[in-house]
Parts: sequence; structure tokens; C-alpha cells
Amino acid sequence: MSFLELDALRKTFGAQVAVDGLSLKVQKGEFVSLLGPSGCGKTTTLQMIAGFVDPSGGAIRLEGQDLLAVKPAKRGLGIVFQSYALFPHMTAAENVAFGPEMQGVGGGERAKRVADALELVGLGAFAARHPRQLSGGQQQRVALARALVIRPRILLLDEPLSNLDAKLREEMQIELRQIQRTVGTTTILVTHDQAEAMALSDRVVVMNKGRAEQIATPLDAYEHPATPFVASFLGKTNLLEGSAVRPERIAFATSGLAGTVRTRIFQGNHWLYQVETKSGLVTVIRQNTGEDMPGEGAAVHLAWGTR
Amino acid sequence: MSRNGPLALAYHTLFVIFMLMPIVVVCWVAFTPEGFLSFPTSHWSLRWFYAIGRYPEFISAFWRSLGLGALSSAFAVAISVPAALAIARYRFPGREGMTALFMSPLMIPHVVLGIAFLRFFTEIGLGGTFTGLVLSHIVVVLPFALRLTLASAVGLDSRIEHAAISLGASEATVLKRITLPLVLPGLVSGWALAFINSFDEVTMTVFIAAPGTETLPVRMFLYIQDNIDPLVTSVSACVIAVTVAALIALDRAYGLERLLVGKAGHGR
Repeated sequence: MSFLELDALRKTFGAQVAVDGLSLKVQKGEFVSLLGPSGCGKTTTLQMIAGFVDPSGGAIRLEGQDLLAVKPAKRGLGIVFQSYALFPHMTAAENVAFGPEMQGVGGGERAKRVADALELVGLGAFAARHPRQLSGGQQQRVALARALVIRPRILLLDEPLSNLDAKLREEMQIELRQIQRTVGTTTILVTHDQAEAMALSDRVVVMNKGRAEQIATPLDAYEHPATPFVASFLGKTNLLEGSAVRPERIAFATSGLAGTVRTRIFQGNHWLYQVETKSGLVTVIRQNTGEDMPGEGAAVHLAWGTR
Repeated sequence: MSRNGPLALAYHTLFVIFMLMPIVVVCWVAFTPEGFLSFPTSHWSLRWFYAIGRYPEFISAFWRSLGLGALSSAFAVAISVPAALAIARYRFPGREGMTALFMSPLMIPHVVLGIAFLRFFTEIGLGGTFTGLVLSHIVVVLPFALRLTLASAVGLDSRIEHAAISLGASEATVLKRITLPLVLPGLVSGWALAFINSFDEVTMTVFIAAPGTETLPVRMFLYIQDNIDPLVTSVSACVIAVTVAALIALDRAYGLERLLVGKAGHGR
């Protein structure tokens, strides 16, 4: 039996179908991402699990128990929002202590848990600060500590890193992954960022128009996209001779598809090429190994392995 | 912020003078020893301040105005909080109508309200009572209380409350520990603005108040109909002094800008 089970989950707002029969089984300790463009139903799905939105149909079971019969306050789920949603009138420590207090965890034990949780996210020294005195990244860590301190059955992350700048986002991804590994909490992440989903998850659910297009490991979904939508959403792709070919799988060769380099962009660790061919524009990504590469206007041949 | 040009500066100076002049004149005249409104006065005297002591009805009217303002504003805020949360949060049938209804006293002339309440209160046996005053003042100050409460309720991120619920808080706990503290700045400024409006109200109150339930502005209004001596100016000067003292105290304790502009107290 799976730990968390979504069964033909459905949500309509009037005539608009937000989630259209989504089924998903999540194992205990697993990190699963709901990935898709805005309006694909991923956030609505998360809110149905959390209990803030009532499904129009289907079922949600947690450890075999009907979750929809449980009030949101009693579900015991930890949630981290994109906007952090910290209590602005409380310090970091008071924010984190709120959950244990609601659970009736008393004095000494509560203080210890709060200190441990803040330590876990590396904010031990910031306990007495108010949210407005913390940076975005620090606020997000407090939000994470606040969600984890109640020892939630599931951790729900709603675009938690989207408000952070690129460099900080990468650091937080690694940290989030490590924390999740340490604590072992089953985690559902909602994101529109395919790189984030692939970096963090054991499995991704690629969603489009309220449906799951593919449920697979990140590598599997990337290498063997089930639909053209998944292929295009999970990174750049070329349609060549009827099959999708990833740009990094195409090499310059002495023979093969003939073309002319239209643009060449240097991106540090790799080169990004647009090559004009009789099959249309082909995107090519080559590792920067320090070797000379064809320049713009050069005549080239493209070759790729068929898998 | 860009600096003002000389023309704008002159304009603003004139404007401030125009606003302050009547107050200055009233305070000045209050210190005259003459038996009439003499301005500019050449001699100084506290005669008309001592005179207030001989008119206990002014003193009692002052306390009545304070009590009336405090009470009606408190009720108005108590009504505003649930109304503001509902209007800010939910889309329900009659929402627009409800907002318009709560705001309507702003649009209705107070003379009309005065006559209407006079008739209505006489009919139901509340004519000339303090209860009647409180009820009518709740109606006229409600828009001010609601306006500022609504501003802070609209600015409230519902996900903050969702976070509290997910942590196991009951609805009552969320309201007490999260929602109310977060709308408190709007609530306090709403109360203050409502109080000022109640304290100031004369057009409607003059119809409703009876001897024994007169508010300070009504008492002053009735007094200057029969007398031309400077007593009302010394009373005015006292009110101005109390107001200035209250404003300074509020600014020290709370921040005046935050109070009157209704700025959210918990910016990021």
C-alpha cells in the first residue's frame, strides 16, 4: 500500500477544469514534484491535499485513511509557501514554536524542538529576529523550520524557491535536498521550474491542463518523454526525422545532416548553437573543452546516435 | 523626493497659514479680558478660562462627548472587523450592496439623518437619550471605521492564515493569534478616526440631543446663539490643548503617520 494516494482527483471551478482525474501514488520518504506551466492544476492539487480547496471528485488517502474527512488543521501536514507566509508579528522562534504549541507540546520540550529546527536550517543565531529583519532566503528557512518542527506526515512545498535569486535558489535546492534526506519526510513539491524539479525529486509528475502527462524519475522523463509536451517542457529539444533529439546529443561530424551555423553563444561550460538545416533550425549544445569550435557562418555536418 | 520650487513653497506656506489661522485667532481671543470677541486684544487675561468653571454643563458635555465618541467608535469597530474580513475575503451575493450600505452614511447629509433619527427615536421611545446618541453616532462613524479596517484586511495574505491552520490552529485561535493582531493597526486607526468624527459631529446631534444629553459641540452651538461673550473661545482653546496633547502622546506611543494614513504596521 502506498503512503499517499491520489485517486482520480478532480476539481472544477464553474465550467473550468483545474484538475482532471489525477491519480498518483507516493511512497513513504519519497520526494515527488508536481511540475508544469502555470494553470496546469499543480497548485490546486497541493491545496486539495492541504485541505484549503475541496475536490469536486476523487479521493485522497494517507496511510489508507480518507484524508478528505479530516479537517485541514488536523491533517498534520507541513506547508511552505512561495510568499513564505510567516507570521510578521512574531519572531523566528515564535513562528516555529506556533505549531508545537498548537499540538500541546509544553515548555522545555517545545523550546528544544524549536532550537533544533532552527539549527537544522542554519538559523540558530536568528531566533529573536522578526521576519522583516531577515532576508528572503532566511525567511524561507524559517518557513521550512516552522513546517518541519511539527514532524509533518507530508511536507508540501508550494513554489518555495521562486522568490529567491538564481544563485541563492541553487544553494537552497541543495540544502533542501539534504534536509529532506536527513529528516526523511515525504515531500510534495509544486514548481514550474523543470531544473528545480529534476534536481530535487525522486519522481516528477509533469502536468498539463489538469492531467498528468508523465509520472517518472527525472532521468527517465528527460530521456524518454512520454509526450511532445513533456519533451519540450523538460528542456530544449529538436524534432529530427520524426523523433525528439536533445541538443546535447548532437555532435559536429564529417558527415551527416548538412547545415550552416547561424548563431553561436558562449555560455561558460558549454556552447549553444543554432544551425540552419533542411530540416529547419536545430539547436546544438556542445561542452566547452577548450577546443576550437565552428564559428558563425561555418558549414557543418550534424550527427546523433539513435537510441 | 524632489525639492519644491519657490512657487510651490509659497503656495504651501499660504495653505498652512490658511488652515492654522482660525485656530490661532480662537486661542488668541480666548485670552481677552473683554466681555465680547475682541481681536486683536491688547490685554491678557484668564478670565474666560475661569468662567468655564461657572458653567458645569460645558464640563459635563465634554465628558459626554468623550464617552459618546469612545463608545460609538468601539461599537463601529466591532461591527467593522467581521464586515471588513468578509468583504475582503469572500465573493458573495450582496457583497457590493453590503459595502454600499455600510458606506452610505457618508453620502447622506447629516441634517437629513438628524431629522430622521429624531422622528425614529421619538417613535421608539429613545428620544433625547444617551442610548439614542450612541446608536446614531455608530451609524455616522461606521464608514470611517470600516474604511481603515478594510484597508488592513485587504492587505492580509490569506496564506498566513492557511499556514496557521496547517500547523493545527483552530479557527478561533487563528482569529485571536494571527488575524486580529495583523489587522490591529487598521482597527486602531479606524477607531481614532471614528472617534474624531463623533466628537466633532454637530449637524445631526443638535436634532437628537436634549437638555441633559448635549454633547460639547451642541452645547457650544446653542450657547453662541444666545451669547456673544468669548466663553466658547476659551472652551475651544481647551479642546485644542487637549487634542494637541493627545496627538503628541499618540505620536510618541504609536506613530501618527501610521495611525492616520493607516499604514500596515508590519511591512517586510
